[in-house]
Amino acid sequence: MKPWLKYLLAVMVLATTIPSRAQSDRVFVPAGSFHSVLPEIKGEPNKVDAFYLDVTAVTNEEFVDFVTENKEWRRSEVPSIFANDSYLDHWKSDLDPGIEETGAQRPVTRISWYSANAYCSAAGGRLPTLNEWEYSAQLLKFESPEEMNEFSKELIGWYSRVNANFIGAVGSTDIETAYGVKDQFGLVMEWVENFKPIIANDLSLDCGTVGRLQKLGNIYSYAASIRFITRMSFSPESTTGMLGFRCAYDVETKDTTKNSL
Amino acid sequence: MKVSKLTLSFIFGLLFAGLASTSFAQSSEYKLDGKTFGMPEAEVFTEDYDGPPVVGEYVTMLPNLAPLDYEGNKHHEVRIDIMVQEIEVAEGVRYNAWTFGGTVPGPVLHVREGDRITFTMKNRSDEEVTITEPSKGGAPFMQQVAANNISKNKAAVMPMPHSMDFHAGTVAKDDKWRTIAPGQTVKFDFIANYPGSYIYHCGTPSVLMHTAMGQHGVVVVSPKDGYPTDDEVAKEYVVVQSEYYLEKGPGELYQYDFDAAANRNPSHVVFNGHQTVMHDNPLTANEGERIRIHFSNNGPSGTSSFHVIGGIFDRVWKEGHPFNEMRGMQTVLVGSSGSATLDMIVPEEGKYILIDHEFVDAEKGATGTLKAGPRKK
Repeated sequence: MKPWLKYLLAVMVLATTIPSRAQSDRVFVPAGSFHSVLPEIKGEPNKVDAFYLDVTAVTNEEFVDFVTENKEWRRSEVPSIFANDSYLDHWKSDLDPGIEETGAQRPVTRISWYSANAYCSAAGGRLPTLNEWEYSAQLLKFESPEEMNEFSKELIGWYSRVNANFIGAVGSTDIETAYGVKDQFGLVMEWVENFKPIIANDLSLDCGTVGRLQKLGNIYSYAASIRFITRMSFSPESTTGMLGFRCAYDVETKDTTKNSL
Repeated sequence: MKVSKLTLSFIFGLLFAGLASTSFAQSSEYKLDGKTFGMPEAEVFTEDYDGPPVVGEYVTMLPNLAPLDYEGNKHHEVRIDIMVQEIEVAEGVRYNAWTFGGTVPGPVLHVREGDRITFTMKNRSDEEVTITEPSKGGAPFMQQVAANNISKNKAAVMPMPHSMDFHAGTVAKDDKWRTIAPGQTVKFDFIANYPGSYIYHCGTPSVLMHTAMGQHGVVVVSPKDGYPTDDEVAKEYVVVQSEYYLEKGPGELYQYDFDAAANRNPSHVVFNGHQTVMHDNPLTANEGERIRIHFSNNGPSGTSSFHVIGGIFDRVWKEGHPFNEMRGMQTVLVGSSGSATLDMIVPEEGKYILIDHEFVDAEKGATGTLKAGPRKK
């Protein structure tokens, strides 16, 4: 058997459905559009269909439940092609996150894109797309452009200040979108489905990138460009102490679930 | 269906991984005008390394410069890892610096014109690395930091992508100066083709933020035939000017001030990374001695009008190249990422102040002390 075929089969075996999050933990984000810092057709914002998004990032406590049910994603079991060496290595053991140290309600970090995918899939969802995540992130309520710039300046300051050893609990940032999505900023970075858009190659990570990404001409896009550049450096097996995730759900999926209840 | 979804995911994952490993045109080495070009392709990999973060015989802590105790050219193996360290930049002002080697500025590398450097750098921004304990196999830099922990370092963790851009190297930046993710290591060769003092810095966007957060240092490349006054020089030092753009954060620590950086309004302008370090630990010399200062302005955005109160620079080599000699200069204007090698005769026993004569910078900290003892008989 070809090695890659083995891995594919391994993935199939790993596909177990364990809904880990309650329906009340997600909110409806209506369809809309937004301007990205990535190059786009002039004047045409990116359209985004309606979807559901988790209110907060997935916590250590929730991820323990997931690895308890899906032993393939435990630290000692996960194949190295699906996660770097530091996968969950701040946990005490396979099933003990060391809650006193890491905090039950803190976002789980040091998880790879593969493992985040598996979790969301098991929860009946998927990772949000780049556009969904960024669109939701722009649904913050600002009274004025000045207020938005002040927020973005503080966000850039946060990048410079934060220590991954001291991350707060989910819901602790007081940053919430108009639809009730919390902590998209100020807590951790989050995986999205297509974290390295094809355009990433053309942009190249050089010093002009920030300037070129600043389409919106304000500090918000500067903060966004730092986010995009950081994402572009990741590989799907990347695991860092500042990288967590939340799940999104198709509108149909939610309805189906409802009907079956 | 869940299975096909995950399978698809995996295939997308492979695609991403494929995108990350873009191939580069392979150069082969050639010589032109006495210089060597065409370095092998850089390698990016993950390694299980937790050894000393700074390695290399000729790598020191500012203001020291390792003497080149070898003849001709040498092949250097140098490692400078990336780490986050909480450091002090002035009394009561501490922040989580993004560093090369653990200090701001990073370590000084000393080589000779024509030397080859094989450079290794691991992005350890996602792990706690202690740099204040002497470690076996580490550079002299490690011992010097352990003995003189002026910034009172504390390890911190903030995973970010980073890169290394050595101005002393002449290479294709999309290969050698590649951005690496936390946990990755990059390894490449370069030849120090031109003599002088050259800044190195992180080239990952935002370059302004990465450099202002502390990711810069200096490579001193001594000319292969030396400077005309080499035999008369009693002491050699390296002085680096740079700016910080900090404001008080919500807790104890300071943080990056975007507005200040965007408007070139630094909170601190300093020599060798700390507002008072060059007064607390003055440079020393004696009356009648010729001293040499390798001065670099690492910016990120300011200029420096470097002067020594009470002295005149006897010789100045702009950028440190022996062909660029000037004499009798009171002040040397150095732009961001520029440098000068300066000889000064210490006229009398006493105290001299190194200063950026752009006084707004001086009053934000860009001063230092040279303490001269009596004339040696």
